[in-house]
Amino acid sequence: MITVIGGGPAGMSAALAAAHSGAKVLLIESGERLGGQYWRHLPENGPKAWTGQESLAGDFARGALLRAKVMQNPHIEVLFNTHIWQAGFMEGQSILQLLQGYTRWEIKSETVIIATGAYDRALPFPGWDIPGVMTPGGAQALLKGSAVKVGKRVVVAGTGPFLLPVATGLLEAGVEVVGFFEANRTLGWIKYFRVGMSNISKLKQARNFFNIFRAHNVKLQRGFAVMQAHAGEDGQLNSVTVARIDSKFRRKRSDAFNIPCDALAIGWGFTPELSVANSLGLRQIVSSEDESVVVEVDDTQGTSREGIYAAGEVTGIGGSELSLIEGEIAGLAASVREGTLSTSAFNQMLLSLARKRRREQKFASALLRMHPVGSGWIEWVSDKTVICRCEEVTQAEIKAAVHELGATDSRTVKLFTRCGMGMCQGRVCARSVIDIVASESKVDPSLKDRISAGSRPIINPLALGVLASGALADCGDVEPKENSH
Amino acid sequence: MRNLIPPLGEVRYFLDGEELHALAGQMVAAAILASGRRILRHTRFEAKPRGIFCGIGICFDCLVLIDGIPNQRACIVEIKEGMQVATQQGAGTYPPEEKA
Repeated sequence: MITVIGGGPAGMSAALAAAHSGAKVLLIESGERLGGQYWRHLPENGPKAWTGQESLAGDFARGALLRAKVMQNPHIEVLFNTHIWQAGFMEGQSILQLLQGYTRWEIKSETVIIATGAYDRALPFPGWDIPGVMTPGGAQALLKGSAVKVGKRVVVAGTGPFLLPVATGLLEAGVEVVGFFEANRTLGWIKYFRVGMSNISKLKQARNFFNIFRAHNVKLQRGFAVMQAHAGEDGQLNSVTVARIDSKFRRKRSDAFNIPCDALAIGWGFTPELSVANSLGLRQIVSSEDESVVVEVDDTQGTSREGIYAAGEVTGIGGSELSLIEGEIAGLAASVREGTLSTSAFNQMLLSLARKRRREQKFASALLRMHPVGSGWIEWVSDKTVICRCEEVTQAEIKAAVHELGATDSRTVKLFTRCGMGMCQGRVCARSVIDIVASESKVDPSLKDRISAGSRPIINPLALGVLASGALADCGDVEPKENSH
Repeated sequence: MRNLIPPLGEVRYFLDGEELHALAGQMVAAAILASGRRILRHTRFEAKPRGIFCGIGICFDCLVLIDGIPNQRACIVEIKEGMQVATQQGAGTYPPEEKA
């Protein structure tokens, strides 16, 4: 049996490729529905409360088709609402501790595909904890998954191509986008012209986005960043301060201005979700493109552990198209291991898949290099700014840990201040803490520092009562099961 | 195929005792936002208001009590008929000791 972790584009693609070869697949999905963030959706029989779906994910129908294929495939068993709260690797097997509601049990698997995706990278700035400030992914998830508009007057800001579909989705849902700021002055297409021309469909998609902006009279302003968010008397967001920045993200000495708004969607690219990969002891590297930690994979999506494959955003941020291709390759490679696909058939299929993968990787790489996060953002943060939202640790406390207690790495700062020790276990702040500590201590972060930021022995929090009540006794491979859409 | 499945309708739920309505299939955090409320909890140390941040279950900022159980991520729990949701104060002992 092949265990696929994550039901987004990469995971679904992997499951289908493996099942097609005749392998048995168990797909573990933490949410209520398949599709991941990209194809997040309301239930099929649910309300149809808005019409912006097409611009959010141009190929929404394709996602629906894939989901249906997965659900209808007799070789694929899907576990919904199932979290992996702990994982380990012993004697050639991955041991996965599963949690569904208040039930926990263990499965062992010799062939595992990790497709746990990524989440928005957030940077701290004064006011980023005010209700109304959220990630672009959050704003889009509200629309896609719940048909809810994030606000009436919304500012979209940060950097990266993902801001485009977020803004068009909001516009098409009838939200007023009162400010749209890309931090980078992306003239990079000149440099990456050939890469762009090799991917016409992506260029067409970008053109569609800009047509929507034009139709709504919204202008994307480049070289600006939101420096501060402000709350009204009710404690909720009522305006943001925007200023011009240079290519290193240092604030320029000029006219900052205020924009009244009730929501801010702000994000700086993505961070791969590597908790499971880390627990399984997979070798990781720092991506040269966006400094995110990613799982190292070979041509067949194989990781440093025999029998464990990785696909999608965990191997480097690249979008849904690349995730689908990587998922397919991982699914096929896993099938060879399971003995349901011959090596020669696999090698034959890999020829064209590897070519497609290379093309998408080049495009993804160009996009990442065009949207770097400059180190100057650290200067926007004030001493009072909360850096770790969970434990409410301020920048002043982090500075004190460096200058008064002598910390020179993020782990020591964490032990002194509790930053990164809250419920999210550093998922939100760890990257920023590493940067702040490096900037204060003038000591470059080590690879180990960056990788250990994703180390979460307890991947998902669970109640002590659930631990105390014991795991289900040997209940077979996949029980218990809950059906959902 | 879609027509064969009976459409989902409205569900009724309670937020801090107040009766509210949501569309079936919505997440709790989204339903609350749609009713015009952004503040889902107050923090443990500074009693600062917090709302939806990541929206996809990774940041643990939208913690609420659902049917009496604290520290539930409102953004990844689907709203259900009759659900009792309460904004969380601090670590979310129940019943809340005091309103911040």
